[in-house]
Amino acid sequence: MMKEIMDSNFKEEVQNQSGVVVVDFWASWCGPCKMLSPVIEELSNEMTIAKFTKVNVDENPQSSQNFNIASIPTLLVFKDGKVVDTMVGFRPKAELEQLVKKYI
Amino acid sequence: MQRYDIAIIGSGPAGLSAAINAKIRNKNIIIFGYEDFSSKLIKAPKINNYLGFHGISGLELKEKFKEHIEAMNIEITYERVNNIYAMGEYFSIMVNETIYEAKSVVVATGIEYTKPLKGEEEFLGKGVGYCATCDAPLYRNKIVTVIGYNKEAEEEANYVSELASKLYYIPMYKSNYELRDGIEIVQDKPMDIIGKDRVEKLILSSRQLETDGLFILKDSISPAQLVPGLLMEEGHIKVDRTMKTNIEGCFAAGDCIGRPYQYIKASGEGLIAALSAVSYVDSKRI
Repeated sequence: MMKEIMDSNFKEEVQNQSGVVVVDFWASWCGPCKMLSPVIEELSNEMTIAKFTKVNVDENPQSSQNFNIASIPTLLVFKDGKVVDTMVGFRPKAELEQLVKKYI
Repeated sequence: MQRYDIAIIGSGPAGLSAAINAKIRNKNIIIFGYEDFSSKLIKAPKINNYLGFHGISGLELKEKFKEHIEAMNIEITYERVNNIYAMGEYFSIMVNETIYEAKSVVVATGIEYTKPLKGEEEFLGKGVGYCATCDAPLYRNKIVTVIGYNKEAEEEANYVSELASKLYYIPMYKSNYELRDGIEIVQDKPMDIIGKDRVEKLILSSRQLETDGLFILKDSISPAQLVPGLLMEEGHIKVDRTMKTNIEGCFAAGDCIGRPYQYIKASGEGLIAALSAVSYVDSKRI
């Protein structure tokens, strides 16, 4: 299950976490985001070793601005609170899995 | 929604050959393409290297292809595929307002796409984008530039201009531009995209634009944009001998996988890709 993160708890839920946290920046009107969501959702159920979260950029402009999100979907991979990787646009599951595995 | 066994993208010799072979193997297929099949085919004055058709013109060969697919009851869907998403067990094929689904895909789109601008790939996701309507709200009160290669780009530019503080529109075609008041039309040639961590400027041949965002809206897009995640090598889709790409269930054939750019090579590859797709679909059915 992917946890919805807000501007208000981004620090606590993502930056103050140890280990790998994946953040999916998305919005309801973005087609590629809608396609990516079920793919990440599936991956999050298989890779319980990482924490998977999502941020709605419409409702949480501060977080998107803090991390310079210029396109959606964008995935940020955090390790021990720091951004270690970025992926822009839709990607197949196998590629996402490889991306996250690199940091585990 | 009906899920096709194989979706074929492109109606040149590779796509048509894939279609007839998949049909012979009794698969439920959909093929996307044009009424002329291929603009390159109908322009060829004389073809002497397509075995069995010495001295034939491109137009005559096109008629032969047409007779062939009609005899096999293959109908081409005259729609433009925007994106193909690998969802895992199937592919979502986005065609404007419609979504088609297929278990496997054969990409046979030829090689016509324009080269990326200098800096385009480097700044992708750092100010450069291909979907203006997707990313528009991220550019609220910022300066945005749209490089439009077709009329549809005007619509996207109009939408973005409602949010952006300033919008430059650079048309790469001639027409009566139907753009909202306030949009500045810049008739100049884009050369280079520059910036540090993200886009700062677009360099044109005779002026520079300071811009926060840059949307490049092309007519034909590269296979890697068409199928996000598709592995390319030196401008072509990377395939193995069975026409398999790096994405499971996605195959490719014809000019888009590499030289030489020839009709009979494309047809042969279309055949291999179709048979590989057939085996893939069969292996999934338990």
